[in-house]
Amino acid sequence: MSDLSHLPARREPSLGRRLFLQLSAASAASVALAAAGCSPSSTPTPAAASNQIVLPQGNQGLLYYAYFLALAQATTYQKVVDAPPSDFTPVDRAVFDDLRDHAVVHRETLKYLIDPTRATVIFPADFAFNLKSFTLTTRAGALAAAQQLEDLVASAYPVILPLFSSTNIYKRTLLLKMSTVQARHAATVRDLLTPGGFASSAVVDGNGQLITQTPFVVLTALAPFVAPYVLAFTCPDTNSSTDAGLCTANG
Amino acid sequence: MKLISLLDHLAATPASSAAAPRRDVLAQLGRAAAAALPLALGTLPAAAATNDTPLDALLQLLQLERLQAALYTQGLAATGLIPAGQTADFQRLLAHQNQHVAFLTRTLQDAGSAAPTAPTFDFSGRRNVASNPELFPAVFSNYDNFLALAQQIEDLGVRLYQYQAFNINSDTRLTQAVLRMQSVEAQHSAHVRSLRRGRGATVGTWPSDEDATIVRPAAQALTTAATGGEANVVQFASASTQVPFSTFFLIRDNTAIHDPALAEAFDEPITSAVGQAALNLFS
Repeated sequence: MSDLSHLPARREPSLGRRLFLQLSAASAASVALAAAGCSPSSTPTPAAASNQIVLPQGNQGLLYYAYFLALAQATTYQKVVDAPPSDFTPVDRAVFDDLRDHAVVHRETLKYLIDPTRATVIFPADFAFNLKSFTLTTRAGALAAAQQLEDLVASAYPVILPLFSSTNIYKRTLLLKMSTVQARHAATVRDLLTPGGFASSAVVDGNGQLITQTPFVVLTALAPFVAPYVLAFTCPDTNSSTDAGLCTANG
Repeated sequence: MKLISLLDHLAATPASSAAAPRRDVLAQLGRAAAAALPLALGTLPAAAATNDTPLDALLQLLQLERLQAALYTQGLAATGLIPAGQTADFQRLLAHQNQHVAFLTRTLQDAGSAAPTAPTFDFSGRRNVASNPELFPAVFSNYDNFLALAQQIEDLGVRLYQYQAFNINSDTRLTQAVLRMQSVEAQHSAHVRSLRRGRGATVGTWPSDEDATIVRPAAQALTTAATGGEANVVQFASASTQVPFSTFFLIRDNTAIHDPALAEAFDEPITSAVGQAALNLFS
């Protein structure tokens, strides 16, 4: 047999590691984020700060995580749709109208999947996705914000899906059906910001596979937008051999 | 015979600790192949368990990726077809498809299952028989025709990956790799759709009721596989529970959406049988 170190499955962690470090550096100045069990070096810790929101474990936690991503998208795109940049083209406006609508569909669907009565208070009343770090008044700013969000969300779904236990295959299938729409969004805003920017080497690896990000990395990148709250995500399986590194390391 | 050689291969694989997880994964793939069941027929609910083994799934995805690679190889080789400014786009599409072919081939080989010989793909729809009717005219001389076919084959790809992704359930890492390739296929589809929109076609970057239909009376199997059922607005939260969308979208709550957005927000899988009927048009 050939040297296993040349198999893609063996190469990927190093690539993911680099991205992890880049993203960590980018958000180093931001609010600290506790992701119990998801930092490769940390062990689960009990919730300490009162502003920490500890997401449930298991499938429910994955749904909360996906709900948060849809909330971030919907909040951002609603703002753009309400006050479109003056240099938006008709195509830009139509795309953002759709992005907003799709994010609302995803958010409301996920809210229902979390609790069919939709009575669960998922986040505190004053929890908000704060848009101050985005410049949504110019075309370039709105597209840059959308690209950052869509790249993150697209990179999150191939991590969420295999972690979702198959006890409810229907819920997993709904997430699967959303995942490719997220990838379509990412390509769409990439192409609008930079023609030909779809599926570039920034987001696709040498095997033609989308580069994924763990919940820890995604939530760290989005931490400045939810301060003073801190979202704490617990990997469904913190045993690295059975988890296969999906949640605890980038691949 | 292939299954026996596969099992022989697995038995003969040296046991080193470094190789163990990988070999275990492939052994499971092999066992699944040994227990091979016929391909699923008819229309199963998308969420239902399927009879496609991991080997069935990988072989079908390999055929899909080979088809896509051949389309872009021939397109890039056709003089005057692709505008100079978009050559790099198709070189990227081709590179990804070749990488997917290589990955799937390697995965099959690691499991001791040699990839079958690639067919000769014929994008006219004549299936390599000159007297057969031409289903897809001027694919390599008319850029709009080329783009329309590329869009349908990319959409078909996304939907076939969605169906097969969780049939490759023997190895979480492999499942994730398939999901990551699926996401790249979705980015490809969005890009090809944006190229068509740039040339005046009424089309968005996700399948939508608002898209102008690509009419293919003689190749309905392709249209069905590419976008058939994409207008679906019924989703299930469990076997017996529909997601009650009608209660979600209210002007009062600022959750109202424009009608086509509900179906657009979900891509819809196709069964392996629907996918295969479309793939068979090209070889």
